[in-house]
Amino acid sequence: MTGAIGVVGVGQTPYRRQNPDKSAAELVYDAVRAALHDADIEMDAVGAVIGGVAPDALAGINDIDRMSIARPGRPYLRVNTGGATGASALQAALTWIRAGRADTVLVVALERMGQATTAQAIFNTIFDPIYEKDFVLTTITMAGIRGSMLMKRHGFGERHWARIASRNFTHAVDNPLVVGARVRTPEQVLASPMLAWPIHQYEACPISEGACAVVVSRDGVVGTRSVAWVQGMAGSSDSYSMGERVNRREGSLIEMVPLKRAAAAAYRQAGITDPGTQVDVFELQAPFSIIEAMAYPALGLCDVAESRAFVDRLLDGEVGLEMNPSGGAQAANPVSATALIRIAESALQVRGVAGARQRGEVRRAVATGQGGATQFSSVCVLGRDRP
Amino acid sequence: MTASDPATDLLVLPGNWNFDYRYFAGATASRFFAELRDHQRIMGRRCPGCRRLVVPARSYCDDCFEPMGEWEQVGTEGTIDAFTIIATAFPGLPEPPLLIAFVTLDGADSAILNFVQGLDLADYDAASTYLFKHDRVRVVFKDRRAGRITDFHFECLEQ
Repeated sequence: MTGAIGVVGVGQTPYRRQNPDKSAAELVYDAVRAALHDADIEMDAVGAVIGGVAPDALAGINDIDRMSIARPGRPYLRVNTGGATGASALQAALTWIRAGRADTVLVVALERMGQATTAQAIFNTIFDPIYEKDFVLTTITMAGIRGSMLMKRHGFGERHWARIASRNFTHAVDNPLVVGARVRTPEQVLASPMLAWPIHQYEACPISEGACAVVVSRDGVVGTRSVAWVQGMAGSSDSYSMGERVNRREGSLIEMVPLKRAAAAAYRQAGITDPGTQVDVFELQAPFSIIEAMAYPALGLCDVAESRAFVDRLLDGEVGLEMNPSGGAQAANPVSATALIRIAESALQVRGVAGARQRGEVRRAVATGQGGATQFSSVCVLGRDRP
Repeated sequence: MTASDPATDLLVLPGNWNFDYRYFAGATASRFFAELRDHQRIMGRRCPGCRRLVVPARSYCDDCFEPMGEWEQVGTEGTIDAFTIIATAFPGLPEPPLLIAFVTLDGADSAILNFVQGLDLADYDAASTYLFKHDRVRVVFKDRRAGRITDFHFECLEQ
């Protein structure tokens, strides 16, 4: 027996704009039932439950996890790091197991934002009410701000954003969990309405609901189950203030310093020295194509200065990397759950059970989490080989 | 006959969150706003550790996690670091088009967010191309100031 921990079960609801046929608890129930079934365990084998929900206001129910995720008779805690919530919840589960408090932990993340009729006005309330909120900061405008920086400093153009988005939408068609997925050409993306220049509607994630559950167990109880081993996992944080991150020695607002740090730490744990050749699949929590372009250098796939040339080569098929086989966060982004979905999808790839979106023999996959206007980042390395 | 079936109709209940708050800005931000309102000055505080002059002023340095030191006034001209043009209306938010930008004011080591006014935003590409080439702005103070961050905005400098 080793100290290794593996993902042994994954359960996901379909992801769609709204689910009027399910209460929040019923969405969670479906995902958890599927995850327990996939792990071939019953609830009595679960030593703790860790829930992930970001702003409650998106659902309009305070502490919505109490009614939907917490289980009677089980230790429970909730995690919230915005869009990185699901990954942070998994990280908490690993810590819980390593501390010897449980052999198996159930991680559940829920997004119920379909109940909000003014989602962008709610997102505005995550920003500083003293100095910044008045200027219409939302998840969309915070991404647009970064887009203009990338265009000015690194020569990106609108077509780069559109091509990344188009590729993600095309991948999503193979993912039955993305309800209503359809192929969109770069031209169709560019013809969609402008939300906040340079971001067109189809370069932004849609409103998405759903729940994702992941079962993680320590080596000793994994048995003969199909498993994706956690080879490395790390997270990092940045200053809340975007203005203080614009020009810094350690990296500007578009350099994703926390993602760079999380990737370096997770790669070190996993023994990855060259991610471009040692990772088969990436599942990126990039709800905007702009955010995805920023993530490549932070993940060590290219230098910041040559990131535009890298994106061109990647989109031309000249880089042998599989990005977002699921369609990624671009196609469906249930905010609180999205980072756990990236981990779940990576686990399916490593276990070879991803169906039509399976990318051949995947020895190793990397999932990222990204939240709070790039304040929080997580990197999770899953692989076939037990660490 | 109605097609509705009481056994399967899905109930959707109306809901509304409408709470009032008062946000406590704290002493440092309060002084920043008083300087803005009473003296048309934009002030930062310098970190004794890393020497950054952070604008708008904060009470402690988020990098060094030490108290900020001296108050210093920064220039009323600066450079746009990043911007976006809000083009679509969202319920509960101000009407577009609106141009917002992070601007590093002369002398400051961090950027401050505000509206940039006076630029024709009818053509987003033309406006953004202009801003990439002409990134210098000036602060324009409102005549009637309330001690709020909206007491000023930016305007492009002729270049």
